[in-house]
Amino acid sequence: MDISTPTFPVHHSTLSLDIEGHKTEIIISSYEDHFLVIVTQIGSMGTILHARKEEGVSINPTFNVSVTFGKRDEPMLVACARQLIEFISASGYSKGLVLSLGLKDHSVVRHIFLYFLEYCSVVLNLLPK
Amino acid sequence: MDPNESKEAFGNGVETATQSVNQLTMKEHTTQDGGGVQVTCFSEVSNEVTLHFQIIRLQKQIYAWIGCSSAKFGHLYAAARTRPSNTVSVTSLIGGTSDNTGSGVARRLVLKTGLNIILACDLPKNSPMLEADAEKRLVQKLISLGYTKPQV
Repeated sequence: MDISTPTFPVHHSTLSLDIEGHKTEIIISSYEDHFLVIVTQIGSMGTILHARKEEGVSINPTFNVSVTFGKRDEPMLVACARQLIEFISASGYSKGLVLSLGLKDHSVVRHIFLYFLEYCSVVLNLLPK
Repeated sequence: MDPNESKEAFGNGVETATQSVNQLTMKEHTTQDGGGVQVTCFSEVSNEVTLHFQIIRLQKQIYAWIGCSSAKFGHLYAAARTRPSNTVSVTSLIGGTSDNTGSGVARRLVLKTGLNIILACDLPKNSPMLEADAEKRLVQKLISLGYTKPQV
């Protein structure tokens, strides 16, 4: 890293791996107020969800998760976004999350989610806060 | 699925993450993961304002982000040609109230490039010159990267 060179303000990380025979691309991008996480097997962003922490007085944070584009009848996707925003919040970020899931088989989410979370945690720790 | 295989795959990804997170130059930077994803980041100055551009190319879709002197995500729009008459449709997904600064940009990107576009745009409203300039630079870059489809 060249410290003297001005840096691009958005950092990102990409990963390509094989999940049950399907090539899967993961891109994590960090903006000032949001994380963008793209997981795709279909060559497009697929279903896009938006998740954010609600400002409130209660000690326990509440989250708002919604599907903004794509499949609205797949609760696993909403659960995935919710888990991820809770994780992001617990890691000390107050950023929102834009999650894009373009999967061939949505049941895969259940299997890979823990490892995916571990990967996200590594990337988040590497990114400047 | 073998849980150990998944764990190993993500473990390998950790190494990749450590390397790929170091994308820290203002010059144009394109990363290619050997697969269907290419990420291009560049910045340009327009009238004393720094415009930041990020283009993520997927096989069937392009995601683009335009930032204006900051790294805020902005409003999110989706635009594509739709049946039956192949006209361009655009919808706001996140944000995008009455100013809709990015929706016109998203629509014209599809018109000029023939691509399926998801655009995140943080341009200030009431700056048509800046909007036009950002759009022009983005289109030029998409053409120079060879992403555009021939227009009939």
